[in-house]
Amino acid sequence: MFIFVKRTLMINSVRNTVQAIANKNNYGYISPQDFNLYAQQAQMDLFEDYFYQYNSWINKQNQRVSGTGYADIVKSLIEVIDSFSVTQSLNQQGNNFYNLPSDYYYINKVNYYPTKIASNVTSAAASNTLTDNAAKFVTNGVVKAGQYVVNRTSSSTSSYGGVSAYVVSVDSETQLTLTASPFGVAATVGNSYAIFSNTGIVEIERVNQNKIFYLNNSPLTSPTTAYPAYVLGGATSSVVGDSVTGILGNTITVYPTTIIENGSVSSEYIRYPLAPKWTYQTVGGTSGSPEFDSGQADYQDFELPLSDEPGIIAKICQYVGIEIREADVYRFGKQEIVEDNQIQV
Amino acid sequence: MAYLTDYQYYQNAGGTPKDKNWGSYQFVSLDDIVNNFMLMYQGNNELINNITRYKVLFHAKRGIQELNYDAMKEIKILQLSLDDSLLFVLPSDYVNWVRVSMFQQGVLMPLTENIQTQWADTYLQDNDNNIIFDQNGNVLKPQDSPLDMSNRTIYLNSNSPYDGSEGCCVDGNWYFDFAIGARFGLNTETANNNPTFSIDKQRGVINFSSIASGQSIVLEYVSDGMEKGTDGDISVNKLFEEFIYAYIKYSILNGKLGVQEYIVNRARKDKSSLLRNAKIRLSNIHPGRLLMNLRGQAKWIK
Repeated sequence: MFIFVKRTLMINSVRNTVQAIANKNNYGYISPQDFNLYAQQAQMDLFEDYFYQYNSWINKQNQRVSGTGYADIVKSLIEVIDSFSVTQSLNQQGNNFYNLPSDYYYINKVNYYPTKIASNVTSAAASNTLTDNAAKFVTNGVVKAGQYVVNRTSSSTSSYGGVSAYVVSVDSETQLTLTASPFGVAATVGNSYAIFSNTGIVEIERVNQNKIFYLNNSPLTSPTTAYPAYVLGGATSSVVGDSVTGILGNTITVYPTTIIENGSVSSEYIRYPLAPKWTYQTVGGTSGSPEFDSGQADYQDFELPLSDEPGIIAKICQYVGIEIREADVYRFGKQEIVEDNQIQV
Repeated sequence: MAYLTDYQYYQNAGGTPKDKNWGSYQFVSLDDIVNNFMLMYQGNNELINNITRYKVLFHAKRGIQELNYDAMKEIKILQLSLDDSLLFVLPSDYVNWVRVSMFQQGVLMPLTENIQTQWADTYLQDNDNNIIFDQNGNVLKPQDSPLDMSNRTIYLNSNSPYDGSEGCCVDGNWYFDFAIGARFGLNTETANNNPTFSIDKQRGVINFSSIASGQSIVLEYVSDGMEKGTDGDISVNKLFEEFIYAYIKYSILNGKLGVQEYIVNRARKDKSSLLRNAKIRLSNIHPGRLLMNLRGQAKWIK
């Protein structure tokens, strides 16, 4: 569970193993649709378990029953969790009201970039570049390497909205080279962008709803641009977090209320793992057996590390055991997990 | 804060004001204190965890305020001229006064606080001494109390029975005979020819006696170091840096549920001893300073 190595096509290995365990005279056949459902549940189960494991091992560490080096379990857990870390600028809904991404599991940090250097609209898009034909990057001389570039187009109108990168170099009056492609690589135009200074960045601190009133009225600790704060709000019908799925996104309200620059608020969060999908081609007509095909557009492997494969198999076996009403399969899955937990304690 | 280059230090890197960074190396900023505390003293493996930054900020500011009140003695000075109202409005960051002086003919003359005369509230009364109320039933008050006026010492003001004593004027200076047996009751506390003052904390002013009218008054006072709410300007001398961390740590542990008493006590002792250390350091006693003072011991006093 703790060794962070990813293997390609892990999902096929998992499915083959589950089939091998469950299949008895073709009785335990699992359809791809069912397998994908169970795989998603199993992955989510193990993913959440990482956070509880992390907490448990921190407590052990503080009781001095944890080691260093290869015995540093906490480090391994952090590495897995960190592999789901995403940094994204938050879309502004209005004034000091910002939308959170729809795929976040845990908001780790929200940062504020106080100094805007430049902003405008892109004229073209290509890999790792920002092109603005109206800009004077060289003449103005204020844009420099290391500064933070944000695509501040709404994520409901552009799938790249909120994506950010850093300036690598100023190539010409109208073009910058970036560390990533926040405007896509196709020739799309009209994405609103802003460039922020990479100095003076401050963390916006999360404050509970029941404290924010007192905080705002406290002379010593009321939020300032040096010590800003935010409160988390629920999903509202006016905030669509994901334009594709239509999932509603949560929102944050940032204090002081003067923090109203679109693109200046960004979050570093842990996202949910993507739903695994075992894709296939049917061989021998519609009645033929499905053959694994990782070349399909919607193919998605497990995102958890290879060392989690036994755990995922055990979890799926539990679901499969219920499906085919086979108590042995269920018990096997359950027993595997219990033993695994005992080893880790 | 990152270290400054010499150009940044002396010339503010070409910016204004040029003297912005002069002497800045003595101080550590509030931002650095909060940042360092969150980084070094708060975390999963530390005594303090699950603490919000605003709590650290609050205790850091409280610690700096406490230092300003009694340990650091960062004296601020304000000079204003008095008009006929004889009122000196306290500065916006005033917490307590250290000395009030009158600047006259190039000399700073320390003034005496008049503790005998206080200001007083009064109510408006009619001819029959009945108190007058407004339509809401609240008592009416005059703008100024008559007791604010002529609050000089009873011995040296014009109404005193000792005023007008005979004397000799020699080279422009007046000399008087000792009034033997007549001034045994002199209150030396207020026996000063300069104007006296009393501080009306509620009203936020210093009241002066009438002879202070038109004079230049210098107020030396202590503030709380909060720099009028500008967090970026708040700083503390580096000699107190460790104390501030200890103060924050103690304040948080002291108010946290379930912390063992011996841990709280350890933090309290830590804080107290660091404050003592810092005070000794800041007093800056060294032989070079003592030398000049000790030379006075050989002086003949007639």
